[in-house]
Amino acid sequence: MAQLEIKNLHAKVNEDGGEEILNGVDLVVNSGEIHALMGPNGSGKSTTAKVIAGHPAYEVTDGQVLIHLDDEEFGDEEVPEELQTWELLDLEPNERAALGVFLGFQYPAEIEGVTMVNFLRTALNAKLEEREELFEGDESEDDEDDEAGYETSPMEGAADEGEIGVAEFQQLLKEKMEQLDMDEAFAQRYLNAGFSGGEKKQNEVLQAAILEPSVAVLDEIDSGLDIDRLQDVATGINALRDEQGAGILQITHYQRILDYVEPDHVHIMLDGEVVMSGDADLSVKLEEKGYDWVREEVYGTA
Amino acid sequence: MSKQVHRTLSESQVTAISEELNEPDWLRELRLDALQSLDELEFPDVIQTPGRTWTDLSKLDFEALVDPEGALEQKERVAPEGVEVLSFAEALEAHESLVREHFGSVVDPQENYLTALQTALFTTGTVIYVPEGVEAQAATIRTTMAGQSLFNYTLIIAEQSSSVTILERQETADEGDFDERYYSGIVELVAGENSYVQYGSLQDLTENTYNYGLKRADTDTYATANWIDCNVGSRLTKTSVETVLSGEASESQIVGAFYGHDDQHFDVDARVWHENEHTTADLVTRGVIDDEARSVYEGVQDVGRDAWNTSSYQRENTLMLSDESEADASPKLIINNHDTEASHSATVGQVDAEDLFYMKSRGVDEHLAKNMLVSGFFVPVLEEIEVEELREDLNGRIQDRLAQRTA
Ligand SMILES: Nc1ncnc2c1ncn2[C@@H]1O[C@H](COP(=O)(O)OP(=O)(O)O)[C@@H](O)[C@H]1O
Ligand SMILES: [Mg+2]
Repeated sequence: MAQLEIKNLHAKVNEDGGEEILNGVDLVVNSGEIHALMGPNGSGKSTTAKVIAGHPAYEVTDGQVLIHLDDEEFGDEEVPEELQTWELLDLEPNERAALGVFLGFQYPAEIEGVTMVNFLRTALNAKLEEREELFEGDESEDDEDDEAGYETSPMEGAADEGEIGVAEFQQLLKEKMEQLDMDEAFAQRYLNAGFSGGEKKQNEVLQAAILEPSVAVLDEIDSGLDIDRLQDVATGINALRDEQGAGILQITHYQRILDYVEPDHVHIMLDGEVVMSGDADLSVKLEEKGYDWVREEVYGTA
Repeated sequence: MSKQVHRTLSESQVTAISEELNEPDWLRELRLDALQSLDELEFPDVIQTPGRTWTDLSKLDFEALVDPEGALEQKERVAPEGVEVLSFAEALEAHESLVREHFGSVVDPQENYLTALQTALFTTGTVIYVPEGVEAQAATIRTTMAGQSLFNYTLIIAEQSSSVTILERQETADEGDFDERYYSGIVELVAGENSYVQYGSLQDLTENTYNYGLKRADTDTYATANWIDCNVGSRLTKTSVETVLSGEASESQIVGAFYGHDDQHFDVDARVWHENEHTTADLVTRGVIDDEARSVYEGVQDVGRDAWNTSSYQRENTLMLSDESEADASPKLIINNHDTEASHSATVGQVDAEDLFYMKSRGVDEHLAKNMLVSGFFVPVLEEIEVEELREDLNGRIQDRLAQRTA
């Protein structure tokens, strides 16, 4: 069990006089749960996601983003209590990833010249290594080992084997790609470069499947997908929860994906705050009545 | 003025070099004429931006840099079947009239001060002769400089319907007891009718070496002359890679890569002249600079009046890894015949923040993410390299540089 807890989160654009976007967001996502976060354009959904992951464009002015990890997370290892809860806001994005937070982007970056297989294996090994470091504290010997690791080629990953070797990783990647009905050829393509919108979204789910997060925040993973791919992506998301026990915070505009990925909880965001929460029925109601209804309920005006 | 190096050079020194190499009279005369001309010649053009001359060659102390008697080197030459890869002495012995016909035909010895200096003083060089119809695998040349200064000359003659790939490397044995050194290299490429040549170069001189290079091809009808120019070493490099598309329907691709760190300085030019109909040019350069390194790029596509129905493309990207590095890039398109499909662009910028965040959010730390982005940045250049050895060498040098990054 793990839990992502967002408490009274306030954030603004990270520049002088930058716009305040989040005005006290509260959310709790446990592993094994699926949450849908809905809201009109510009309400702050993507900003919430990016702040959780540590995007440098935003400054947090108040609140907390915590991850609580359980003993079970670590197999047989004893993890002292002070290492079971982490304030993500104090950590680098890659450290947050190491603690099990995954952000699926609304607009994934296109990275020329870096193959999917190379990137994903590097990311997985980096995550495992960083995780070890976070939990073993500051043993400087380890740090030196890491430096040495960078001196080998990140290009084909030939020399720096890492914990998961090339052959083992290729097998893992192949399985996950099959599960998502992705063509094997994707492994050798450059990360998102020239991918269609749908391929990019599928690729985000694939990466989550490989990195096995405790909580995956998926930002509009359903937008721009045709029905076949929507079903593939939904299968992938359900597998994250059912097979890996991940918690899902699914940001979406549309009811459509919720027919395939049934949420345990639905939250509605307006003007940088979560203003309404409920079960799956809430999204159906929202679909019928629209955001004006929400406004009326919350503010008493339309 | 440092230009006065020639005051200390004498006819007898130049004659001595020529006699040592047993050269025919015509070549000795060419050298002496070049020596004579130094008085009147200018340095090659360099980029000026408002208030700034990026590479001021006239400030170099050539008198201290150049030692006509200190031209030590090791040379390796590998000839594929059917191709002759010869020292100048061997080439003059076996093919004197051929050498005489082409030497100085593409790059005028008196084009500028530095070409004339090179012609007067060159002690080593290679002639690559690909006879008509020969299709050959990679010819390789490795020049390892061991003295104070070295002038290296390469002449490539590809006859009708021949095909060859060439890899030439410039290195320094070690830093030596020299504060500063000078390396100069000229490459002339004569691409005969319907011939195909890819010439790749990897410059990896020690970082106390000043480097001047001029490479130029002249293409006959249907010929293809492709360049891969990689610069990693040297303290300062001024280099120009050029093709004169003389023949109808001839083509040229000029691919450049550089990676500067510490206080290295790269001044890199790519130029092409469309002088005939149906000619095609593609200029692609990618460079990375780190620390306090500087780079300046100039690319010129000149579409001549008689060059009907041409295609000409130019792209340059410089990636700056530190706030202290500086770069300038200017792509130039000169059109005298509008029947052309042409494009030109250049960008100078830092690693994309969104790319970096994306990678970090997947668990990769910033240092490693940047290294991956830089490796990926060079991939389009690496993909153009046909000679595997060059591709691996360049990639190896890029990885070495990345491993040295501290920030
Ligand atoms: N980096 C930024 N700079 C300036 N304004 C921003 C930035 N990011 C988001 N905003 C603004 O914050 C508001 C919320 O944006 P966003 O979180 O993307 O909304 P949503 O994902 O709910 O559509 C919008 O008005 C948007 O224009
Ligand atoms: Mg959004």
